Amino acid sequence: MKYYCGVDIGGTFTDCVVLDDQGRVLNAKTSSTPPNFHEGFLDVLGEAARKLDLSLEDFLAQTDLLLHGTTVGTNVLVQMRGAKTGLITTAGHGDALIIMRSYGRSAGLPIDRLLHVSRHQKPDPIVPPGRIKEVSERLDWSGAVFLDLNEDEARAAIEELVAEGVEAIAISFLWGFVNPAHELRVRELVEEIAPDVFVCCAHELIAKPGEYERTAAAAINAFIGPSTADYVKQVDEATSERGLQHPLLIMQAAGGVVPARQAAGKPLFTIGSGPVGGVTGAAYLARQMGHPNVIAGDMGGTSFDVGIIADGEPLSASETVINQYTFFMPRLDIESIGSGGGSIVWLDEQSATMRVGPESAAAQPGPACYGRGGTRPTVTDCDLLLGRYNPETFLGGELKLDLHAARKALEAVSAELGMDPIEAADGAVRIVESQMADLMRQMTVERGLDPRDFVVYAFGGAGGAHAVEFARELGCRQVVVPLGDFASTWSALGVMSSDVLHVHEHSELATAPFSPDQLNSIYARLEEEAAEQLRDEGFDDDQIELVRFADMKFSMQIHQVEVPVPGGTLGEAEAAAQVDHFIERYEQTYGEGSAFPDAGTQIGVYRVLARGRLRTPELPEIEPREAVETVHREVYWRDLGGFHSTEVVPSDALGAGFEFAGPTILDLPDTTVVVPPGATGRVDPLGSIVIDVGAPLDQNLAAGSAAATR
Amino acid sequence: MNATDATISWDGRTYPYMPPEELSIDPSLELHQEADEKVEPVTHEVLRHALWNINTEHGNLIMRISGSPICAYGHDFNPVILDETGDFVFFGPFLQYLASATSSSVKWTLENRSENPGIAPGDIFMFNDPWIGATHQSDMGVAAPVFVDGRLFCWVANTLHQWDLGGTAPGGFNPMAPDVFWESPCIPPVKIVEGGRLRRDIEEQYTRTSRMPKLVALDLRAEVTGCKMAVERIEGLVERYGASTVKATMRKLQDDSEAAFIKRLDTIPDGTWTEEGWMEVSLPGDRGLYKNRVSLTKRGDKLIFSNRGSAPQEGTLNAAFPAWKGAVTSMLNSTMLYDQMFCIEGALRHCEFDVEPGTISCATHPAAVSGGTALTLLHSIGLGGLVISKMLASSTDPEMLSEVGSCMGELGFPINATSGLDQRGNPYSSFLLDPVGSALPALSWRDGQDTGGFSWDLQSTMPNVEDNELFYPLLYLWRKELPNSGGAGKFRGGNGAEGAIVPHMTDSVALATITGEVAVPGPGLFGGYPTSTNSYIQVKGAKVQERIAKSGKMPTSLAELEGELDHVPAKTFDRAPTPDDVWVFAWAGAGGYGDPVERDPELVLEDVLAGRVTAEWARRAYGVVIADEQVDGEATEAERRRLVEERLAEGKPWEGEAAEEGDGAAPADGRVSEYLRVVDGEIRHGDVALGPAGRNFKLGALVRELPITEANPHVPEPSIHTDQKIAFRQFICPQTGRLLATEVAVDDAPPEWDLRPGGSA
Repeated sequence: MKYYCGVDIGGTFTDCVVLDDQGRVLNAKTSSTPPNFHEGFLDVLGEAARKLDLSLEDFLAQTDLLLHGTTVGTNVLVQMRGAKTGLITTAGHGDALIIMRSYGRSAGLPIDRLLHVSRHQKPDPIVPPGRIKEVSERLDWSGAVFLDLNEDEARAAIEELVAEGVEAIAISFLWGFVNPAHELRVRELVEEIAPDVFVCCAHELIAKPGEYERTAAAAINAFIGPSTADYVKQVDEATSERGLQHPLLIMQAAGGVVPARQAAGKPLFTIGSGPVGGVTGAAYLARQMGHPNVIAGDMGGTSFDVGIIADGEPLSASETVINQYTFFMPRLDIESIGSGGGSIVWLDEQSATMRVGPESAAAQPGPACYGRGGTRPTVTDCDLLLGRYNPETFLGGELKLDLHAARKALEAVSAELGMDPIEAADGAVRIVESQMADLMRQMTVERGLDPRDFVVYAFGGAGGAHAVEFARELGCRQVVVPLGDFASTWSALGVMSSDVLHVHEHSELATAPFSPDQLNSIYARLEEEAAEQLRDEGFDDDQIELVRFADMKFSMQIHQVEVPVPGGTLGEAEAAAQVDHFIERYEQTYGEGSAFPDAGTQIGVYRVLARGRLRTPELPEIEPREAVETVHREVYWRDLGGFHSTEVVPSDALGAGFEFAGPTILDLPDTTVVVPPGATGRVDPLGSIVIDVGAPLDQNLAAGSAAATR
Repeated sequence: MNATDATISWDGRTYPYMPPEELSIDPSLELHQEADEKVEPVTHEVLRHALWNINTEHGNLIMRISGSPICAYGHDFNPVILDETGDFVFFGPFLQYLASATSSSVKWTLENRSENPGIAPGDIFMFNDPWIGATHQSDMGVAAPVFVDGRLFCWVANTLHQWDLGGTAPGGFNPMAPDVFWESPCIPPVKIVEGGRLRRDIEEQYTRTSRMPKLVALDLRAEVTGCKMAVERIEGLVERYGASTVKATMRKLQDDSEAAFIKRLDTIPDGTWTEEGWMEVSLPGDRGLYKNRVSLTKRGDKLIFSNRGSAPQEGTLNAAFPAWKGAVTSMLNSTMLYDQMFCIEGALRHCEFDVEPGTISCATHPAAVSGGTALTLLHSIGLGGLVISKMLASSTDPEMLSEVGSCMGELGFPINATSGLDQRGNPYSSFLLDPVGSALPALSWRDGQDTGGFSWDLQSTMPNVEDNELFYPLLYLWRKELPNSGGAGKFRGGNGAEGAIVPHMTDSVALATITGEVAVPGPGLFGGYPTSTNSYIQVKGAKVQERIAKSGKMPTSLAELEGELDHVPAKTFDRAPTPDDVWVFAWAGAGGYGDPVERDPELVLEDVLAGRVTAEWARRAYGVVIADEQVDGEATEAERRRLVEERLAEGKPWEGEAAEEGDGAAPADGRVSEYLRVVDGEIRHGDVALGPAGRNFKLGALVRELPITEANPHVPEPSIHTDQKIAFRQFICPQTGRLLATEVAVDDAPPEWDLRPGGSA
């Protein structure tokens, strides 16, 4: 027997999904064990082994692939608990990391904080000014040496940092990505003078112009380096000691995995990988379900995360903002807003209107109905009041919900608006659904994609309760709540389904007409590097997939558009056609007539995505189930104008082929699916709930009828 | 509007356009004006977000399509949604001083274009006439009407700074223009898109005057595409929710913002607050100083901004009224409407503008105005921000008190307009955007952010050094923050910064300069010290590459360079450094807030250890003595005592002339600032009476005059730039020795009566 195993560690739970080569699948869930997360890792593997009636050692010995998503690096950064870090950089430019191009004062802030200018503040420095050491050396934009590296200064800088007790050193020089000689030489010196100090060079992380973002990347990588490396090493050793024969693979923000050894040296690329599993899982399922275009939305307690899959591939972005630091890094484009089950419903007294979020009751105190001391109403309280949740069986019955507390909390807001609590609850839900739809619309429409061509995949604890409504708002026709029983370990499943992915980039400005020789030589070099790396990792040529892209723009533009480049040796015609591909992609994104070819076309960055296909088995089909007795509950339906006795289907009934029609509620162990009037659906052979959203009974009702202002 | 002279025709031709209360619109153009009486609160919230998102998306689209450095980094654009008569609904979070431009131009278009050529669905107008509603000619605006059932429902519009629209100076900022005819052409609203189709004839006429016609054509597409997207999206909302519901949401946004504004205004007593400053050099060769003055009077629920007392229009300094109006109101959004999604209309309904035409801040045609954005406009944002802060300082609302801020760093944008042949042998023309990394004001509770950007652009973004080195034939020796440049104070102004460049892979580059604030720094607030200054220094014959090849060491400050120093004036067009020279340009730190001697010594220590303040300046300005990386408590106490005694010993009551006007009405008791109150008809600092409340409190204080170079280590000897006298003046409490106010005084002017509670104008 061979096992394929994905492990995802969150703040509260550690999840594991195991598939075997017979197509069987199981999941396991244990508590996370901060700060020693590796213990929870072993616990959940032990739990999975127990379910298979195996010892942990026997299980690991038969495990072909062990893939892991970790938020250790992200947490260290967010909590600013990283290593004591030093930075060595070009003389005269040490302030780049402090100045943060000015925009560090507001980068990544949600809109309410962005608009409050007097509160803008740059974040605590990752490397304080005293540990930023400048060294005489200078390259120009072409990589030519303007001033040789002053090795005496470099040695002195390293020795000063070591004397101060740094645990990590980042090296970042201007134009170091064009000519890495100086950075590499300083790295050698660090390894010679302080072999135990974690060291990294900016050019190894990012090969693009922009010294602030590159330096920030190197500094962050060094800052989180020692703790991430320790963690990965602990897990790697613990699993190999217990019989794992294959290298542990670590999830990257770009949407693929890399061997643990590599992840430990470049922990930067794990930043923000937390929600990535959900999107890669959606892509994996979408391939089996035959959905090329998917909007994947994960609604949890505090946030709503959205990723887009177009033509079968998750869309990526090139920039990451975290703690107001920005750096360039290929990653899946996942955007978040603070709309979750815990989002607080409040009254804006000035305008006498209702607002939802971005403040969240989070896990503590949590929604009022959790009875943990929360008094302010949340979206979860609204859903409960509207009859969507069963107070007795929420989260598998672990938590009894307090309906009275929810009502009381909401009354405090609704009374001020002259609304009754139910009306207010429905209003809050509409607001949150429209915010979610807005985010999804932005992520598609702003890229020239039509949301109506997409299927919505809704996961996370609160996703199923709102998905049909926001799908309708977007004009999407279908909603999928993936793999009923696996919704709660969805990220682990996504991690398990990932391939090895490396991104190889090269920056060099070329202006059309492009020289095919130049393109061929750049891509040939990148592809050779990429293929060799994958071969070293044990992939056969037939498992290796290389895809080319170019970042293109009109001359003097700053923003670039990623355009696919055909493989193989390019001739004059193909090189010329690259301009047409660019214009086509540009107008698709920005609208017809927006391109102006006379402005001159340029390529700035050449990229090869190198995938090592892992043999992830197909998901198994589930059986039909016996009909079971359903219960009825009073549920509020906007389209029906009030409460309505509604059939509630328990999860036991949801076998393959089960059909249902709204209004109805599907009660799953970890989530609740709300199927409003007009929507119909079924359980597909893989166990996913597929809903045709249909149309609301009366479009005008959705736009709001009962007027009530103070 | 408060245009006092009835004989003046405020029509946007010789005098600026001032829209009347009731617009005169041709009856053939029907307006959609019905709005639901009430909007259901949930629908309102949904539509509010939808409209905001449309406007944001509009901005993002422009930024990505144009993607020019000035757009992407300078954010020199802003998308808006206006109602059917051109009043603001939403105004984007980009450059705030563009606030009046689009509204004014749309109103003018309604009055002057509704009959001929007519305003119809699918049309888009473009305009850049500074007397009608552009900040200067480079800021090209476009506006698209949205129609519902044949009636004009609302407008979407944007402005975007252009690379070059022609005229005698490449790039559009003309340092040597005596009048507007030297500058890029002014275009009153013209129909560039008709029935959805871009008019090729107009486009070619427009791009024909540009040195960079292709990039200008691309930017035009950015602006037009942005508008078209926003029009479609609003049409979609109307289709879904109904026109009268969407319109009701627009009205409610304006009304809610107005109510919030009034509520905050209610916490402020009536009064008048003023600020003065000076700009240098009207045209190359000139050494004069020119006064800019902004006053703000609050009467009940009205705010009246005035420019009276400003210098007559002169050389390149000028701005037209729409630019000035946008400037002085641009800080209202961020200080008083931050929680109203910047719906500025709520405030504008209560603002009046009492302006004197023919001045630098309300120039009449044909004055030169192309450089005004970097000069009078920016200067007036700074002074406008200060009068708003002084007003808010008397509020009873702690929220408003926390918005009180000192003078921002750059009162003039140090333009380094560079052109020549780039490293690839192609001609180029642009200006360096590094000074976008401006210094933010100190607040009444926190230091200003060093190189934090502009407070009137929420996401100011400096280019990377590598971006500039890739685009232009320049190599940066350094770019770094300047310690001590932020004004000293209980809360320190943010530090400014400095860049040093050498031409690289070219024979030489042309560098033209336009800025202000090279000799006269901006003021401190409530006893804080002034800002530093902008500067340009050309180091001739520095021969850096030759020298570093021998030494192996990169120079990282002016002191480490050899060569002859050329202090370049604030307006020049004749400098052309070669690779043997170095061009050093600095931008000012922000002003301080409160007496520096009251600053927490631990904060001073933190600054010194981080290199933001030197140990020497810590001692001189703050009286803090640091030894072994610790505050020496005893020595600090003694030093602070010594500084206060020195003030009391050197300070004398003001003996010259002083303004004594006022109507004699005693203002009510209450707060004037953190340090001054009106009590029983007297103005007091704590228990110390400073004279009758109807008189300038400075006349009850001791006055001490110091050389301006004592105010900030980065202020140069005035004689470098001007023959006029510039002094640093301190107003000292005669009992406590505390600094109550500081001034940057030119030519022994009497103390500025800047805080006038109560009274009438």
